[in-house]
Order: sequence, then C-alpha cells, then structure tokens
Amino acid sequence: MRIKNAARAAGIAAFLSMASHAAQVQPPEDVLGELIERNSSDYLTQSEQNIMMMPDNPALWTADEGKDLFYEERGPNNKSLETCDLGKGPGVVEGVYVELPRYFEDTGRVMDLESRLVYCMTSIQGFSPEDPEVKTRHGSSSDMMKLQTFIASRSSGLPWNPPMDHPLEKAMRDAGEVMFYRRAGTSDFSCATCHTNTSKRIRASVLPNINEPHEWTKAISWPAFRVGQQNVRSSTHRIRGCYWQMRQPQIIPGSDAAIALMSYWTDAARGQPAILPDKKR
Amino acid sequence: MTRNRKMPLLALIAGASLCAAPSLFAAERPSSPVAAYTAMSPEELADYLIFEMEGFDLDAPTQEGGTARDRLEQDRTQKVCSAIARSGAALDRPTAAKISALAEESIQLPEGGIALGDWKKGEQIARSGYGYRMGHRMDDHSGEPPGGNCYACHQLDPNETAHGTVGPSLAGYGRLRGTSDAMLKHTYQIIYNAHLFFPCTTMPRFGHNGTLTQEQIRDVMAYLLDPESPVNQETEQTAQAD
Ligand code: HEC
Ligand code: HEC
Repeated sequence: MRIKNAARAAGIAAFLSMASHAAQVQPPEDVLGELIERNSSDYLTQSEQNIMMMPDNPALWTADEGKDLFYEERGPNNKSLETCDLGKGPGVVEGVYVELPRYFEDTGRVMDLESRLVYCMTSIQGFSPEDPEVKTRHGSSSDMMKLQTFIASRSSGLPWNPPMDHPLEKAMRDAGEVMFYRRAGTSDFSCATCHTNTSKRIRASVLPNINEPHEWTKAISWPAFRVGQQNVRSSTHRIRGCYWQMRQPQIIPGSDAAIALMSYWTDAARGQPAILPDKKR
Repeated sequence: MTRNRKMPLLALIAGASLCAAPSLFAAERPSSPVAAYTAMSPEELADYLIFEMEGFDLDAPTQEGGTARDRLEQDRTQKVCSAIARSGAALDRPTAAKISALAEESIQLPEGGIALGDWKKGEQIARSGYGYRMGHRMDDHSGEPPGGNCYACHQLDPNETAHGTVGPSLAGYGRLRGTSDAMLKHTYQIIYNAHLFFPCTTMPRFGHNGTLTQEQIRDVMAYLLDPESPVNQETEQTAQAD
C-alpha cells in the first residue's frame, strides 16, 4: 500500500515536472493510463476492452489520412493548408487543438477547430461551403473528420488550455456555461441533468462529471472512434447526440451558440491532458 | 469530384460571400463584434446566441405542434431551477416554496379519482425512451407512442440490470409503501410534476409537460404499485440486500 502510494506520488511528480517544461505530445493510451493511475473514476474505467484496444484505434489511421490531406495541394486554388492559422501561426498544428476555441483577429470571432477548418478550406483552398470536402462533416471517410483527427492528435497529452485573454473568449465561455445549465423542452433537461454527478448512470452508461476535470478531459477528447458506430466522431457529433437525447432542437454547427458551449466545456477540463484520438463506447 | 467543379463561378461567389468577407462580416453585422457580446450578461448573451444568432434550427416543427423556438423557451420553473443549479448554491426555502406552489397549481387530478391501470402497458412505457426527439432523426408519434424513459434514471424491476442511477431505486415501490388512496395520489403527483415534493428535481414533469397522458400515468402507476408487477416481486437479490 505504502509502496503503491509512493509510486503514485513519483508518477505525479514526474508528470508535473513534465508539464512545467514544454509538455510533449504523448500516445493517447499512455495519457489515459496515467490518468487512471492518478484518479479513481468509474467513468474512466468503464470499458476495459476499449482501454486495452487503444493502441489499435482505427482513428489513428484516420489521423494519418488527415495528415496527407493537410499537406496536399487541393481545391480550386490548388493550395495546401500550410498557410492556415489555427491559432499558433500559419501551418502550426502541434498543440493548437487544446487551445481552441479562441479569438481570431482575421474574422473577429471566437472559433472552434471545425469552423476554423471551414474558414481555411474556403478562403485558402477556394472550396465552396457546398463542396463535399467542406459540407460532409461526419464519418471516418469525410475529409473533415480526417483533418480534425490529424490536427487533434498533435495535442495528445497536452493540457487543455483555451485562452481567456480576449474579452470575447471570456464572454463566450460564460454564455456557454449558461447554456450547459439551461433547462428547456418537453423533458426539462439541461446538460447538467446528466453531467454534474459522479459515477451516475443513464441506463448502462456511466456519465462523466463536468466538475471533475480528470473525467471531463476524456469526455471532451474528440475526435474519438465510437465502437458502437464504427466511425470516428467529432465534438459536433457528440453535441448533436446530446441535444437529441435532451429532446431539444438541433444546435447549428459553427454557430456562436455551439462555439460558446465548446468554450465552456473545454475550459472545464483545463489543465488535464487531452486523450487524442480517443476511443469511446 | 468533377461534378462539383461544374459551376466554378457559382462556387466562387458562394465562397466569397461567406469567407472573403470576414471584415465585412464583422463591420456590418452588429452580431459578432466584441462590443455587442461583451456588453451583455452571460444569460442575455446565451439567449441572444440561441434566439437571435440562429444558434438553433428555430423554425423546425415539433411533435407537439409548435416550433423549435417554442421548445427552447423556458417557463418559470425551468428558468429558476437552471440559475440555481448553475450558481451551485442550495435551494433557499422561499424559492423552493414558490417552485412547489407552481407545481401544485399545474397538477390536474383525474376526474372520478385515481385508479391503477395495466402494469404490462406501464412496463412498456417505463422502458421506452421513444418520443419527442427531433433534429437529425425525428421521432414519429404516429408510428410509436412516446414513452416515459423511467429506466434511464431509475431501477424498477429488480432483475433488470440496464437501469440508470440518476434517480433513486424504485424496486419494490408498491410492496414497501402499499396502495392506499394517499399513496396513489402521492405517486400520481410525482409523475405529473415532481417539483411539488422535490423542487428543482431533475425528474421531467410528465403530466405538466403533456408527455404522458392520464391513461399512461395510470399504467405506469400500476407498474410501480400493482402487487402483480415485476417491480414488486421479491428476488433473491433484494431479499439479501434487505
Ligand atoms: C439525458 C441525459 C443526458 C443529457 C441531458 C446530456 N447528456 Fe451528454 N451524454 C449522455 C450519455 C448517456 C452519454 C454517454 C454516451 C453513450 O454511451 O452513448 C453522454 C456523453 C457525453 C459526452 C461524451 C462522453 C462520452 O464518454 O461519450 C459529452 C462531452 C457530453 N455528453 C456532453 C453533453 C452536453 C454538452 C450536453 C448538453 C447539450 C449533454 N451532454 C446532455 C447523457 C446525457
Ligand atoms: C432524468 C431522470 C429521471 C427520469 C427520466 C425519471 N425520474 Fe423519477 N426521479 C428522478 C429523481 C432525481 C428523483 C428523486 C427526487 C429528487 O430528489 O429530485 C425521482 C423520484 C421519483 C419518485 C419518488 C421516489 C420516492 O422515493 O419518493 C418516483 C415515484 C419516480 N421518480 C417515478 C418515476 C417514473 C414513473 C418515471 C418514468 C415515467 C420517472 N420517475 C422518470 C429522476 C428521474
């Protein structure tokens, strides 16, 4: 018992010293493994099989395909995405995802990864919003999922750290918090109904608690391969599913309402390492 | 691929109007600018993003005959309980009394008294999560009646393992509490509007919101209270647990 605690303390110390130096991208299975070692959580450990199969995550292929797409010259303008600024300068992908959503000077908006990609694909590569490259958002074979999975995977193991320096970033986060707690509709549900308790279940699924950052980091680690759907899914897809379960209308992807909600949920995982790409039930 | 390249001009115009004009976007629409958003309280901004900035597909029709906009509007109970949950504070007594009084006003007791319905139908209602979901896959009530989804949050039949734990276990509900008139009324009121006894509860207001009919409520009550119902059978498991 004492040895185990000592080992755990050493693990925490090692982790902290690593985090205080330039944190490094880590394989998602290692990030999850360390998280489970440091915290006891029914949510994190609910699927032993998914944990074991992390190294064989099909989303890793999706990320590879996304990498090719990112550097390929495409679209009417025959350009790659190397001039796309995802928050840390043109072409930088490492560590950008854990610092989104953020304010972008060039659009005057707070944007999440998906809306920023749409912006870059249309403004740099010249795609129309109606082109399938931009319009098709769901499924492992969509360009959007491939690109998102590649970019996100380059933040695995880094702590969530969405900037709150710009007043608009703060305003969006706060509005997102209101939305998270906002009960409405024929079932009186809000996101908080199901996601503010620890170890509670809806039917057989253990629910993540937004007030426990070590649980919430896994909850928001999208893209993730959903075993039940045999597809890589995005944050946008998860939000769509939860609004549907809530018996509330569909939120519009890329709308400020959707980005506000994501600003809040990312802020709630602040400091905990991202698990990307993840695998979920 | 080539199909989409057929109208390059159109694509260009569409692309330009959306993307090459971010500065125009920011200058002409009073929407996005920092000044407009940051001047609002978080509550005002949330409502603004939902209702004024096309955050949701507001004109979509709903099963109950209104629009998505109506579905998103909050009534007093929803508004007050949302704010309290967000604040993290405990519910203060005067507010609890108000929410409870609103619930009392909303409850319509069936004419001619409360009687138990058919527990078998009640079981289907308790198990079914169908109904009122909208958006990418809209539930069609003409094909299947909406259910109560009680199992999402409660244990009922002690032999069912796929049950939620957001609400307390209701296994043995009738066996433990009996079927007096007072108990029937109490259970009816909880299903109709549980805020009467549990202000700001997360349990949906099935009667008040009209998601279960009076007949369905009677059937679910039978599932909870009828001695024949699986909910009230003693199992080895519960016998040991007791
Ligand atoms: C009625 C209960 C319920 C409500 C309300 C609800 N969710 Fe969920 N949520 C779930 C369930 C159940 C899962 C688990 C996924 C599964 O197994 O299908 C989940 C999963 C999630 C996840 C990913 C965690 C995972 O492991 O899959 C996130 C993030 C999330 N919800 C956010 C939200 C947000 C944001 C809202 C409000 C817009 C919301 N939820 C509303 C039940 C709910
Ligand atoms: C979203 C979760 C949720 C759903 C769905 C739900 N309930 Fe509940 N229910 C609760 C909670 C939580 C409580 C406890 C009250 C409280 O403290 O808020 C409760 C309490 C109750 C009680 C009172 C228990 C007692 O000890 O007095 C009954 C009876 C009940 N529910 C029946 C039902 C029935 C029948 C259904 C389906 C038609 C249902 N519930 C659906 C969450 C839910």
